[in-house]
Amino acid sequence: MKLTIDHVGKTYADGTEALRGIQVTAGTGEIVAILGGSGCGKTTLLRLVAGLDQASNGDIRLDDQAISGTHPAVSAVFQEPRLLPWLSVGDNIGFGGQRLTAPERARRVEALLERIGLAGYGKRWPRDLSGGQQQRVAIARALIGHPGILLLDEPFSALDPFTRATQHGLVLDLWRELRPTILMVTHDVDEAVFLADRIVIMKPRPGRVHEEMAVDPPRPRDRLAPAFDLMKRRVMRAIDRSLTEERPRDGTAQGQFSPWV
Amino acid sequence: MRPRFSPTALAGLIVPVALAIGWEAVVQAGLASGRLLPPPSRLFLSAAALVRSGEMQTHVLATLTRVLIGFAIGSGLGTLFGMATGASGVARRLLDPSIQGLRAIPSLAWVPIFILWLGIFETSKIALIAMGVFFPVYLGMLTAIQSVDRKLIEVGRVFGLTSTGIAFRITWPAVMPVWIASLRSGLGLGFMFLVAAELMGASEGLGYLLVDGQQMGRADTIVVAMIVFALLGKAADSVLVLLSLPLLRWQDTVRARM
Repeated sequence: MKLTIDHVGKTYADGTEALRGIQVTAGTGEIVAILGGSGCGKTTLLRLVAGLDQASNGDIRLDDQAISGTHPAVSAVFQEPRLLPWLSVGDNIGFGGQRLTAPERARRVEALLERIGLAGYGKRWPRDLSGGQQQRVAIARALIGHPGILLLDEPFSALDPFTRATQHGLVLDLWRELRPTILMVTHDVDEAVFLADRIVIMKPRPGRVHEEMAVDPPRPRDRLAPAFDLMKRRVMRAIDRSLTEERPRDGTAQGQFSPWV
Repeated sequence: MRPRFSPTALAGLIVPVALAIGWEAVVQAGLASGRLLPPPSRLFLSAAALVRSGEMQTHVLATLTRVLIGFAIGSGLGTLFGMATGASGVARRLLDPSIQGLRAIPSLAWVPIFILWLGIFETSKIALIAMGVFFPVYLGMLTAIQSVDRKLIEVGRVFGLTSTGIAFRITWPAVMPVWIASLRSGLGLGFMFLVAAELMGASEGLGYLLVDGQQMGRADTIVVAMIVFALLGKAADSVLVLLSLPLLRWQDTVRARM
């Protein structure tokens, strides 16, 4: 399923302009990472696509069909697992498959539990799981309905590096199998380069697209390969540019304080 | 696996049992008459007499019936109104100020008007109990609904739940713990108002037993009635807790883990 974000802007009721003229497309089965610092409206953009907030202007289209509000084909994993504490682990996964018949849902829940390494945990409570395990359940919940579009809002940012690397592998595995179009938001260059086909770099106040680049290294990507490092450096340079071209009111460039040097 | 019973729980019995034995010994030794504070043996005898004559059963039944009906009405209305004002801004702006205003009236101040309106028999008593139960349940429900995690509501929206679906499958389970806690405090208040209601004139009920004991100068009857009140209150609360346990198994709280 193709996702088109066409000239989307968001201005809040208090007049704050969070997003301006955002133009991003993600082709069917493509992984697009939105990269940017805090406050550049990445999460806001994802909320608009998820239908949790309304865009002030512009269109969001699925296969060239404009949508407003939540859509059955659009699913999401949030920054926190957001499992429903009163449902068992299995029921939490099943919660993502509202439209499935009960037997089909049960079948997929079992299969997904197996896939995320939690076979036998279906009857446990979310509270019995570690943070990483809960986030895997959230990923399974987002995928059980075989969504056309999967939105990932920094779902790995709260995890330790070891767990994070495992989750990256899991997401890629599931993506290869189900081929959802993925729009993910992150502030982690390594994560973006490892997962995405394309990276969109945003800059803040108001949030807009600064630069877009294709991620060259072929899959499966090796974090230790020189090509991976080169790609990361190219992304960092683009981030640097986005910071330098920002001209705050006092006229000083912010580039020299870049955290990426 | 958590143990269902541990011997350390018995530690709480040491003080009351020691006091009871001590007082019994003092009275038996003739050091005190025990007229104003009867020793355990005398309490036991008068309790046994009340049970044998069937009086106790009548009083307990009358009291329990009142509490249950009052509690059912009060908690039902409290839940409904709390749901309405919690879920709808219009209902909240319309109703909540009035309800909060009524709440500011000390509940016992309603006694005279209830008697005037509803007579001195059952209706006014039950109304008073229901009144006592209503406010904590109403407040609990209102605040619980308003403090439901927006993030969980969003999960419901993303996965395609309608607003009715969200109400039943997210809001309701989310407010359950606070609602049950408010039912428990409502039940406690219900017993308090029950005594007030029975003291204002009743021909049966444990409150009547209190008044009767006072007029007859029978401290033992009074103390027995007080003990039965304590047992009934505790038992009713335990029943409520037991009924709610299956609904709250998911909770990750200290109580659940102990």
